[in-house]
Amino acid sequence: MTETFTRFLDDITGWLFEHVVQPAMYALGLMDYAEDALDWVQFGLFGVFSILVVYVVCRPLEAWRPVEPVTDRRAIRTDILYTLLTRLGVLPLIAFVLLNSLSAWWAGTVADSGFVPPTLETLIPGLRDHPVWAFLLYAVVLDFGEYWRHRFQHRFAWWWALHSIHHAQRQMTFWTDDRNHILDEILAALWFGTIALLIGVPPGQFPLLVLVMRLAESLSHANVRLSFGSVGERLVVSPRFHRLHHGILSVAEMGKNYAVLFPVWDWIFGTADFRRDVFPRTGDPEGPEALATGGWLRQQWVGLKRMAGAIAGRSGA
Amino acid sequence: MRRRALLLASPLLLLARPAAADLIFVLNSGDSSILVLDAATRQEVRRIPALREVHHLVMHPNGRDLLIADSGGNELLIVDPMTGEPRRRERVSNPYHLAFSPDGQHLVVCSLRRNQVDIYQASDLTLLARLRTPDKPSHMAFRPDSKIVYVTLQGTGTVIAISMETREPLWETPVGREPAGIIWHNDRLIVGIMGSDHFAVLNPVTKEIERQIPIGRGAHTIFAQPDGKALWATSRVQSRLAEIDPATLDVRRIIEISGGPDCITFEPDGHLWVTLRWAGRIARVDPRTGEYETNRVGRSPHGIFFQTVRAEQV
Repeated sequence: MTETFTRFLDDITGWLFEHVVQPAMYALGLMDYAEDALDWVQFGLFGVFSILVVYVVCRPLEAWRPVEPVTDRRAIRTDILYTLLTRLGVLPLIAFVLLNSLSAWWAGTVADSGFVPPTLETLIPGLRDHPVWAFLLYAVVLDFGEYWRHRFQHRFAWWWALHSIHHAQRQMTFWTDDRNHILDEILAALWFGTIALLIGVPPGQFPLLVLVMRLAESLSHANVRLSFGSVGERLVVSPRFHRLHHGILSVAEMGKNYAVLFPVWDWIFGTADFRRDVFPRTGDPEGPEALATGGWLRQQWVGLKRMAGAIAGRSGA
Repeated sequence: MRRRALLLASPLLLLARPAAADLIFVLNSGDSSILVLDAATRQEVRRIPALREVHHLVMHPNGRDLLIADSGGNELLIVDPMTGEPRRRERVSNPYHLAFSPDGQHLVVCSLRRNQVDIYQASDLTLLARLRTPDKPSHMAFRPDSKIVYVTLQGTGTVIAISMETREPLWETPVGREPAGIIWHNDRLIVGIMGSDHFAVLNPVTKEIERQIPIGRGAHTIFAQPDGKALWATSRVQSRLAEIDPATLDVRRIIEISGGPDCITFEPDGHLWVTLRWAGRIARVDPRTGEYETNRVGRSPHGIFFQTVRAEQV
């Protein structure tokens, strides 16, 4: 199944690239970026596919056992826009263009220092012959990194000013997963880049596994009364587990359940709440209304202003 | 008695065993694997997991080690070309394209993403010099006396000449938009101009482009046929394979081959093996008829290498 899925994706990617994207890049004099463009085509196509899969799985679940009725479709539409911009590669592409020079400079600086970044496989040679296990170990280590990034997003006022966009949604659905400030996304990329410098980046040949992980992340935001049981709740982040993190009494530093994929980190660091019958209302009562119901652009602008205010030491900016 | 007869007959039995198959090494840059194929049956012999992103490979002058560059994985994988068995790995900073100097003394490695050209001692892979270059050092070619290496700079549209003696740049000259493959041929450099439809013939003494060889949009790499009777060039946008007369540099014929032809290797009987980057396939091309067959190999296959095994064992 994995191979069939990968081949299917590769065949469409190859055809699109060869017959549409590459000729256009040639005409525009952009062949220098041809191989990057191939990655983007793959990213965008995978994004389309993952949105479809997430929709097919999560939408029926939300219709089956919703936690709350849908009263604000406009807020959901804004989340859909966030998802499209992120998963179809528009925002990552902007970040690539903006950060490409910085990234080249950084890579050169690292190379000049004589440091050759390791990979988990060089640190644990046994993983070389087992790429799937290597991938899963990367997922665990990176998820650990995500747990702490998430803790810091809630800990530092300036970072919370950005991250509160994600928490402001009162009508949380599976679309809410990608509701993030652009600057917050860039910080996430830098965070990831730093970890990658220490352990390398995960192998990229397992789109099906990435798809499953994305599905889990989207599902954790879904408006569905679903817990994974006493054991499952401790293994993978469930909609119940993550809804508690989005609860109105769980904002900023009062947060619980920070884990993105594996709740074990909350367990270890004492931030877990495993009450299986709690499905609180979501949102940030202290945040400005624009973050909850404003459009995408407005939310980005207000987030930026709030961050500047937090840095300048003004409360309630 | 029977045992003695068997012992006496064993050398004959060894001679009578099926001949080992010639091998094709294909670097799947998109799925971090090296596929080793039986050249006759095109069946998979072995699939070697790489770390991240394998693009190019080169045979060590000793003829016993095949070096495979894993740019994203920051390592060189050294394999036995007769079996595909990995022998060892060396930590190297972002190796993309690599080549040994003709005298076998040095290994030069281009890092497309880190804008560096590294010069290593071939015998023990000691780093001798790291040159910071302008944007995207891509492919390279040596002057036959091994004194100069010429590197295409994809981002700046130039070729840079680097002295192997002083390990310093000598000059840099514009050749066209996004240059990629480059070879030394009859005292000239032939450079694939990926942002255009031709190969540029550069005189390395005058630094002038003396002529263009039009082959199709996205001119990419060029290889000399081992018997010296032809040059073969690829264009990745128009998806073509071009046979070029080595004496006149005229295009003898064009073979349309979809899938984005990239690197080429040659079989002793004259067949060409070509990676088709966007199709995830390789093609075996009959140069006499222009007909070809393809095989699925993996994602974004790039470097390719034919290893004769049968002849080696005779």
